[in-house]
This record gives sequence, C-alpha cells and structure tokens, in this order.
Amino acid sequence: MEELIQTLKEQIIDALNLEEITPEDIDNDAPLFGDGLGLDSIDALELIVILDRFYGIKLANPAEGKEIFKNINTIADYISKNRTK
Amino acid sequence: MEQKNWAGSTYGNGWMHKMLIRSLSAIDVRVLYLFSNIFVVPVCLVLNRSRKTAWNYFRNIHGFGRLKSAWMTYLNHCKFSEVVIDRFAMYAGRQFDVQVEGMEHFKALESRDEAFLHLSSHIGNYEIAGYTLASEKKMIHAVVYGYEKASVMENRNNMFSKTNIGMIAMTEDMSYLFEIDKAICKGDIVSFPSDRYMGNTKTIECEFFGKKAKFPAGPFTVAAMRGLDVLAVNVMKVGRKKYQIFVTPLHYDKEAPRKKQIAELCGAYVAELEKRLREYPEQWYNFFDFWD
Repeated sequence: MEELIQTLKEQIIDALNLEEITPEDIDNDAPLFGDGLGLDSIDALELIVILDRFYGIKLANPAEGKEIFKNINTIADYISKNRTK
Repeated sequence: MEQKNWAGSTYGNGWMHKMLIRSLSAIDVRVLYLFSNIFVVPVCLVLNRSRKTAWNYFRNIHGFGRLKSAWMTYLNHCKFSEVVIDRFAMYAGRQFDVQVEGMEHFKALESRDEAFLHLSSHIGNYEIAGYTLASEKKMIHAVVYGYEKASVMENRNNMFSKTNIGMIAMTEDMSYLFEIDKAICKGDIVSFPSDRYMGNTKTIECEFFGKKAKFPAGPFTVAAMRGLDVLAVNVMKVGRKKYQIFVTPLHYDKEAPRKKQIAELCGAYVAELEKRLREYPEQWYNFFDFWD
C-alpha cells in the first residue's frame, strides 16, 4: 500500500503540474479539494483519467467519485480493491 | 480567487420568455428590434452597470474616442438585445441565413474517431452554430452554465431534441465531469464556453488586447490532458437575419510539457478571439470587468 500511495502522489503531482509540491508534502488524510491541496473540478477529471490510464478503473458514478477523491488514502484504497492493471 | 460579478443566466422569468416566443411566431423580428432599441436599451443603459463595463471596453481596450465609445456602448447593447431576440426567434421556429467559413476543419475532425473540442465565447451568438455545425457522425455535448433559467433550458432541450446535440450542465457536484469524460471516450464533440469562470475555478492569464486577462483553465486543460484537437467557433451577426460562423483550428505542441501546451492553446484561442473582436467590436457581451 505504501508503494501505491507513493506512486499515486507522484502521478498526481506530475499530471496536475504541482511543481512546488513533493510527495512528502501531501498528507494522506488531508482533503484534496478546497482547503487541502486546493484542487478544483477540472483536476478531478484528471484524477478520473489517472485511474483509467494507470489502473484500468473506469468510474461512472459521480456520487462514488466524491467519496473516492476525498484524500490520498481513499483513492489508494479504492485502487487496491478495483484495479485491473 | 476573485469572484467575477456575473449572474450567469438569461434575464427575465419563464413567463416573459414564453410570451416573447409566442410574439415572435407572429411578429417580425424587426419590430422587436426597433422596440428594444428605442425603449428597452436606453432604460438598461441607465439602470445597469453594463454601460460602464462596455464603455471601458470601447474606451480603454479598443482606444476609441469618448463620443465613439458612447455610441458603440449603445450599439453594443442594441446588438446584444437583437441576438437575444434572435435566440428566442429560433426557439419560435424562425430560420436564419448562416454561412460558415472553415467548414473543412470541422468536417476533417468529424471524420476521425477521436473526440475534439469546440471553444466559444460570449461574443456574437454561439447558439446559432448548433444547427449549422451539427454532426451526423458525432454527438455534440455543449457544456453550459448549470443554473440557467429553467425556461431557457427547456427551450434549448426542445430545439436540440431534433438534433444530436446534448447539454452538459456545469453544477457544483462532479457529475458533469463524468459526462465530459464519457463524451471524450466515445469520440464525440465537446463544446466549452472559454471566457468565463466561477468561484474557485483555476484560471490562466493571457495577453488580450495587450492587457492581462484571466480565462478559465478548464477547457484548455481538458484538451491538453487528452491531446485533443481544438476548434475555435465564433458566430457573428452580420445582417438582420444573417450570421457568419468562423471555424478556426487552434494549434499547440502536443509533445510539450502540459503547462506549455495549456499556455499555447490559450494563447492561440485568445488571438483568434481578439481577431474576431477587432472585426466586430460591438459584439462582445461579457458585461463585467474582464481585464484586471
């Protein structure tokens, strides 16, 4: 799980161009949107693409997305349970 | 992030919209243009803040003299009321003469399997493009402001039910993102308004008429994220019942770092927008302080 979390953080930093942030700066439990990492709705689309491209997960339910993208831990947990690659 | 003072929906209530549509099925649009230009526009100019933002646009952005700026402010409001009337005339079943410049760019992308984007702004009358640029092969998904008046959305749905055009309403939840993603995965066309942002939306700063202005990063980010081809689509009113659609491909280096791709694409879009506004300065309908 630790390895997955580290990779996921790197993928998010890379995809969202978070140039001044390192994986260590992202708290696993901190909210990704709003006050936390400060992501916005289009960034959520990027997260959807990451899940699809790297883990073979196609999200289709918006309500589900809100729960999954709460923080790094929730995303990693979802990936570990649903990944197809 | 500064919140722009933009209401984001069409003026008037459902009853007013219905009455306007009914009257337009019987009355010539010229009668309503005349009524609006003589009685409605002057009142709006007195009551609304839009006269100040329009004046600033003509005086400080285009550099027109005081007299010309005042006259253009009036013309701008007249033209805006005319395109709103045209929109409702369209809902009432009226036809317009629409010419397209650059249709070959649309056809070339339409024939491919991959999705592509339309970027538009609040200039001219983009809604008219929906009928002329309709595709037989791909569905067009127009991303629209989610809190538009129910009557306007109902009329749009009625009009678009006869075509393969659908709407994706931008709301607070994430549902619209899933719809955008689905449309792109299917290889459809997604149309974005690219000149307005709300709340905490990320923005990108571009030189627009030689001054810094903020544009929403979203549409450009989506294009770069998926490596999509992009067309700027601007629909300008060129006569009483005549519109001209300008379809222009926007080029950017898809191999460049993401940030550079977004900046290039935004720059190309803004250059095209500026070009059209230099030709049709009175058709700019962003009635808030667009430039910082």
